[in-house]
Amino acid sequence: MSAEELPPVKLSLPLEFQQEIFRELRSEDELLIMARGLGLLRIVTNFLHSCDAAGNNLILIIGADDRENEWIGESLAEHATISRAPKCRGLTIVSNEAVTIAARAKMYANSGIFSITSRILIVDFLSEWLDPAIVSGIVVLHAEKVVATALEAFILRVYRQKNKDGFLKAFSDVPESFTYGISPLATMMRNLFLRKPSLYPRFHVEVANSLYGKKKVEVIELEVDMTDSMRSIQNAIMECIEASISELKKGNSGLEMDDWNLDNALHRNFQAIVMRQLDPVWHRTSPRTKQIVRDLGELRQLLFAVLTYDAVKFNQYLDTIVAAAQPPPGKIRQNPSPWLLLDAAETMFEAARRRVYTGKLSEKIEPVLEEQPKWEILAKIIEEIEQDMYFHPTKLDDSSDAILVMCGDQAACSQIREYLQSMHKRPENANEELKDDEPSAAFMMRRRLRNYLTWKRSFTKVSASLDSEIQKAMQATEARGGPASRGRAPPSKRRRVRGSAAAASGPSRPELNSVHVAGDKDAHIAALLSNLEVTEVEAQERAEIGIDPLEGMEDYYELYDMKDLVVVHPFDGDMDDHLLEEIKPRYIILYEPDLAFIRRVEVYRSCHTDRSVRVYFMYYSGSVEEQRYLGSSRREKDAFTKLIRERGNMAMTIDTANLNPEETFLRTINTRIAGGGRIAATTVQPRVVVDVREFSSSLPSLLHGRGMEILPCMLTVGDYILTPKICIERKSVSDLIGSFANGRLFNQAEQMSQHYENPMLLIEFDQNKSFTLEPFADLSSAAAATMAAPDLQGKLVMLTIAFPRLRIIWSSSPYQTAEIFEELKKLQEEPDPVKAVQIGLEEGEDAESGAVSQTPMDMLRVVPGITDKNLYAITAEVENIQELANMEEEALCRIMGREVGRKMWKFFNRNVVDD
Amino acid sequence: QALPVPTGPNTILVSPRQKENPILKEIRSTPWEWADIPADYVLGTTTCALFLSLKYHRLKPEYIYARIRGLAGKYALRVLLVVVDIPNHEESLRELSKASLINNVTLILCWSAAEAARYLELYKMYQNTTPTAIRAPQSRTYAEQMTEFVTTPRSVNKTDALALVTNFGSVRTAVNAKPEEIRILPGWGQTKVKHWCSAVRDPFRAKT
Repeated sequence: MSAEELPPVKLSLPLEFQQEIFRELRSEDELLIMARGLGLLRIVTNFLHSCDAAGNNLILIIGADDRENEWIGESLAEHATISRAPKCRGLTIVSNEAVTIAARAKMYANSGIFSITSRILIVDFLSEWLDPAIVSGIVVLHAEKVVATALEAFILRVYRQKNKDGFLKAFSDVPESFTYGISPLATMMRNLFLRKPSLYPRFHVEVANSLYGKKKVEVIELEVDMTDSMRSIQNAIMECIEASISELKKGNSGLEMDDWNLDNALHRNFQAIVMRQLDPVWHRTSPRTKQIVRDLGELRQLLFAVLTYDAVKFNQYLDTIVAAAQPPPGKIRQNPSPWLLLDAAETMFEAARRRVYTGKLSEKIEPVLEEQPKWEILAKIIEEIEQDMYFHPTKLDDSSDAILVMCGDQAACSQIREYLQSMHKRPENANEELKDDEPSAAFMMRRRLRNYLTWKRSFTKVSASLDSEIQKAMQATEARGGPASRGRAPPSKRRRVRGSAAAASGPSRPELNSVHVAGDKDAHIAALLSNLEVTEVEAQERAEIGIDPLEGMEDYYELYDMKDLVVVHPFDGDMDDHLLEEIKPRYIILYEPDLAFIRRVEVYRSCHTDRSVRVYFMYYSGSVEEQRYLGSSRREKDAFTKLIRERGNMAMTIDTANLNPEETFLRTINTRIAGGGRIAATTVQPRVVVDVREFSSSLPSLLHGRGMEILPCMLTVGDYILTPKICIERKSVSDLIGSFANGRLFNQAEQMSQHYENPMLLIEFDQNKSFTLEPFADLSSAAAATMAAPDLQGKLVMLTIAFPRLRIIWSSSPYQTAEIFEELKKLQEEPDPVKAVQIGLEEGEDAESGAVSQTPMDMLRVVPGITDKNLYAITAEVENIQELANMEEEALCRIMGREVGRKMWKFFNRNVVDD
Repeated sequence: QALPVPTGPNTILVSPRQKENPILKEIRSTPWEWADIPADYVLGTTTCALFLSLKYHRLKPEYIYARIRGLAGKYALRVLLVVVDIPNHEESLRELSKASLINNVTLILCWSAAEAARYLELYKMYQNTTPTAIRAPQSRTYAEQMTEFVTTPRSVNKTDALALVTNFGSVRTAVNAKPEEIRILPGWGQTKVKHWCSAVRDPFRAKT
């Protein structure tokens, strides 16, 4: 059935390859892998619309994120209006437990298109609030994430078991993810229960024809030179990265480390490469190695920050990193980041500081405020465009005269916006040589520097006050003065006086008398501030800059004239398609290169033959930005080549018939029963009651795979109930460490022992990770043995002594766990879900109301004074963390009792600046 | 028959059956002495331990069950100390998990003689201590509490926590900060801002 046969459906797929894909999707189930930027979501929505218009379909979308839901919802509504299809229902989003089960069941009964969070859908499927048999089809977005143990794979298995006729389409635009491991494509296809992969790289004939056939996009490429200091910072960071990598190699001999090199370090997924090697032994790697891995992440971020942040913000970032790296004074255990000790790091800090200001404090301080080279280029391009528009007034086409500037993220966006707004303003005492019409960021940078200096002062205080409680105890002599003050020369007495006097007119002037007391640090800042006195122009402007220009839009009911607009926008995946369609820009400036966006412009251009587009495209030459851009296009191409080869070799013998668990699972008489005495026990499908929060792990999926019936319930005590007597609390190794530390495990063991005959603690190691605990503390001397705080083994010992009835299950992987569960359940009675839910509930508490969101609860648990017992007093009265933080001390005391309430209030309200 | 009482309060009793066991050499911080006991080790008035190497268990699967029977229901806490010294441990461990349930023994795994000895010492050491170390959260400094709180949402790290709180002055103001205000902090990208803001604004529990 093709699109033409459905008269009421109007599609928005003007290009041939898009129509081709659509026809394919309509005719059979497949996995579609597309190059980024070719408009995957547009195809998805058109397909969904064609189903929606037919009416009476119950279609589920899984794997969509918030933005995609928004996109799909809007486009479906738009399509419905255009097609005037009366049966369209649009999209319903079920993204959290806020929608009650009863309401959900009602919604499903009405059919339509639903985008559902996997965790909710699997619970609904298993508890039969939604019968998989009535689903018309499932659409899987981000198919690259559907690994064998993923929830999505679980959902699809349940779906296919009970429903052989509904359709199933999977989509992905990340071809790289399908190339790791052995025959990855075939494996993924098996997880998705699909037979046919369909690949659309940019070099696909159909795609190339659709895009090259029409008029091409006019592209102007601009290589921007980095400043010398940027280059030297970049080199220094590279050196630090290299040193860190070799340090990492030294500390971890015996691992496969060929991929750990500087080249790979520039890739986005370098962290993943390192982690893939270290993961199996992660709980045994030394703290030093862990520190270096964290460092590498931070260094890589710095590498891009030097290109995108302005000089002041970059320096501020360095300050924060250095401060965070300082160990709390007096602690013995410390793993200083090795790169901080390198000469290169010193060079980097020095260069970063010199981009902001120079001069010795004893003499004259000069703000330098280096500008990012791209700013000037951007200003010039805009000028050129304006001239161009003036000399060649509107051509006869649809494009608007708006200029679209695309950049990496919101932060870059506001930076550019601020620059464009202020580039013709001058601080009054500015250097004379600056001509008035030349763009300059001096105005903006001076303001940033002032903010920086104010921040720096409070920051120094904060670090000092955070450290002081430890310092007091330790009577540290050396670490005083706060970490940030290192390596700075003390100013001379003369300067100090001058500085503070002059600073009196500053906007956030230092307290005159505090200069002497607080020491050199403040004097230094005061001196700097004095050099940056606010001029009158600046004073006027202060208030209005930095405010979102769209504020107050509610009161402004006119359309902006496109001609006057410069739109600055961050890259935002598929949302950018909308942007192009709405703004219809003739001029596009790419402030940073982005492969997908260039393709989007190509698609946009080909869809609208009557519009002309000119793209300016700039990057720093010889920078990591350039390398990353080139690398990403190469990797995508390689990935597709690999996939095409694998598809060619793929054996098409995926058996979807063998899905019925009843067939594969042997429910015959157990051979261990002598004489076949109790056959009755084996005629029911084995059943496990599972806490709904456990569905983020892969174990429920595996248990289901072994033929057990999974009953999702809201459990107060335990995670898995195997029999009326056996209750199991599952802990991964990291969970184990964490819940020992906050006392949670003790409470859980206590509750389990209270309500069940056989309480069990399952310690589950990860598949592929080594099956040992972390190295235990060396206690060769008896003195050390009694002094030291108990290590993990020690805590386990304490736990078993406290609860002699608690059994421990050690499992090397979730697979192993599933087998152990099966073993434990043999010949036992089945658990009663109703009873399991009731156990541990307080008087009058309702099991239904227990749906909680995980992260806020975890945050609540680490607030001082909160225990597992008084946790629910909070959640019953308070809506969220924000409300809690804003509560008055009396109100908190009323709910929590005096002591705890005061403790909590202090935690939220303690002022780290003025302390 | 009365259970033998150790000569000193801090002595581990060892059955002569364990004579060849290399872990005896590793017990260094606690004294031990031979004694005629049904278990392999006696670690306290109500605690005993049996020792099992998986290699041996594979050869003589019946051995350990006979030993457990030999304990004859004595001792409240019966530890089965298992050394994992074979690569394909899955099947044995599955069987032992089931056995621990039926026979009331607590399974403790270790991977070396040194670790096994360490467990014995620990059991002796903590025999009469109250489990305060695992019962309540350890007291920490404000900086640690604050960092733990702020870094709970995904992808927020220590540096970010410091930047956030120093910039806004207190945890309360940091919680109240608008996304636009947080975004200008160095290191806080879009994902982090989103995770943080939704973590502090999402309701604890759904309205019914």
